[in-house]
Amino acid sequence: MAPLLSVRDLKTYFRTPDGVVHAVDGVSFDLAAGERLGIVGESGCGKSVTALSLMRLIPQPPGRIVGGEVTFDGMDLLALDEEEVRSVRGNKIAMIFQDPMTSLNPVLTIRRQLSEGLELHKGMSRSQARRHSIELLRMVGIPSPESRVDDYPHQFSGGMRQRVMIAMALSCDPQVLLADEPTTALDVTIQAQILDLVKRLCVERRTAVILITHDLGVLAGMTDRLAVMYAGRIVETAPTAELYENPKHPYTIALMKSVPRLDEERREKLFVIDGLPPDLIDPPKGCRFAPRCFAVIDKCWEEMPELMRVTEGHNAACWVDVSKGRS
Amino acid sequence: MMLWRRFASNRFALVCMIVIVLGLYVTGIFAPLLSPYVPTAQNLDAVAQGPSIAHWLGTDELGRDLLSRIIWGARTAAIVSIVAVSLSTIIGVVLGALSGYLGGWFDTLIMRVSDILFAFPSLLFVIFIAATVKPSAVRFVEQMEIAWGMRGLARSGIIDYFVVFTALSVIAWPGMARLIRGQVLSVKRMEYVAAAESIGASTYRIIFRHVLPNCLSPVLVAVSMGLGGAVMSESVLSYLGVGIQPPNASWGAMIWENSGEWRLHPHLIFIPGAVVAIVIFCFNFIGDGLNDALNPRNR
Repeated sequence: MAPLLSVRDLKTYFRTPDGVVHAVDGVSFDLAAGERLGIVGESGCGKSVTALSLMRLIPQPPGRIVGGEVTFDGMDLLALDEEEVRSVRGNKIAMIFQDPMTSLNPVLTIRRQLSEGLELHKGMSRSQARRHSIELLRMVGIPSPESRVDDYPHQFSGGMRQRVMIAMALSCDPQVLLADEPTTALDVTIQAQILDLVKRLCVERRTAVILITHDLGVLAGMTDRLAVMYAGRIVETAPTAELYENPKHPYTIALMKSVPRLDEERREKLFVIDGLPPDLIDPPKGCRFAPRCFAVIDKCWEEMPELMRVTEGHNAACWVDVSKGRS
Repeated sequence: MMLWRRFASNRFALVCMIVIVLGLYVTGIFAPLLSPYVPTAQNLDAVAQGPSIAHWLGTDELGRDLLSRIIWGARTAAIVSIVAVSLSTIIGVVLGALSGYLGGWFDTLIMRVSDILFAFPSLLFVIFIAATVKPSAVRFVEQMEIAWGMRGLARSGIIDYFVVFTALSVIAWPGMARLIRGQVLSVKRMEYVAAAESIGASTYRIIFRHVLPNCLSPVLVAVSMGLGGAVMSESVLSYLGVGIQPPNASWGAMIWENSGEWRLHPHLIFIPGAVVAIVIFCFNFIGDGLNDALNPRNR
């Protein structure tokens, strides 16, 4: 079966006064209908830019999608004109943003914001959209939605607002939901509730999810498959359980090690990966993780590794097979 | 509602608002009912009198009732301020919002044009516009009268009003456009604008539905100050003889008409002058009151 969303060699660059930043530099992945994919990586590795590129929401200038292919449901998203893209946004592919405090418009009621997509894409009338908005609020667990629907965002708490954002994103029954760090701005108990809600709704509606985060703990229970990004590239991708049990790329291994664990004896210090991510204006010629890698060999400095098959569905972009013992 | 309560808690601004609403706009609207005499009627038996029971504020050189002329002057000021400020606000808000949101060559064009308008001394520029627009406007209306068989329109003084509206709007819109542009530049970076984009809203929908409503509070202040400024500018133009022409009543024109008498009958100049001063003073205080009520730091 052809994947619902297929990204091939996506490249998004930003022009800055210091030079061209290669924010996303050759990202490829597939997403099947109803699948939940997690993209994990540290700040600035290109996770959010990847998501925004899929929506064609890269601010232009300074940004530009310079290469690659994004095929969604048989359409080449990068070749659509502005109007065609708008008919996809919110309708087929929707997005939840990071900070619920700033992603709702303070001067519009919840109803107006929820109705927007319904009126635009589903051609609903004002009263139909209102009724549907109430249903959406009930679906995301907002108490007494009939009265809350006419409230303004400042009358909602952070967690409630993120629920509203989820309702907004799911209002037109999209096939893909992009969630860009949806819980980073929320406290831990609310985080769990929001993630459960997203998971439950997406399973019910068979919506595919791309969950972007830097929190490995968040991803474990949420996703079917993970992609680890480093410096604008995917360095490893595998089914979630496989990746946690059997990480292959040195970056993934180091990342797993640096997560503080409650079920382990307390160490003196947390594990840290030495050094900083490379400068994306002038990225190194070989593997981008080479300067920080514990298993680096000469070849790493010379040639950039592509994703290579480890087992079925598990690919890593590394010249060294770490498990074969070499460090 | 919150805004109104915060505004009303400033007693002084509230009083100013009442003075403006009653003294300028209500008086302006009901001028024909309120004025005791016809403002252009000359009574040559009672020329240049001081205040009396028959003429509360006295009469001018031609024996016209000063109170009636002040009341009709309020009508002129009310019409000019509302129309000129509405025009410049609409033009400024639309151009400023498009300029700030779209950026690029459109932004450059609008901002350079407004730079050029800012660079002229505004009073000189208004006089220039008023003086150059009027002859062609008169010609145009005369042609229209011939074509449609009407009479008297070109002589009625309506053209003077249009000339004043045009002149005041042309100099006032760049300020409004700059104000809005600055607001839009900061609002368009907000995440809810990205969220609206991600739901598939079009550019114009985003500008006018999502961005503009978040930019309007400084506009409210600017409009209030601008109304005062328009009253002032209209008086100046009329004083200089390029605005509203006699016999139509205008406070500025009244000062000019009576300036030959100022030694003998200072009240003929003092009263219209004081009225203009009070109106502008009140508008500025309303603006300050609104600013305080809208400023989030004072909440």
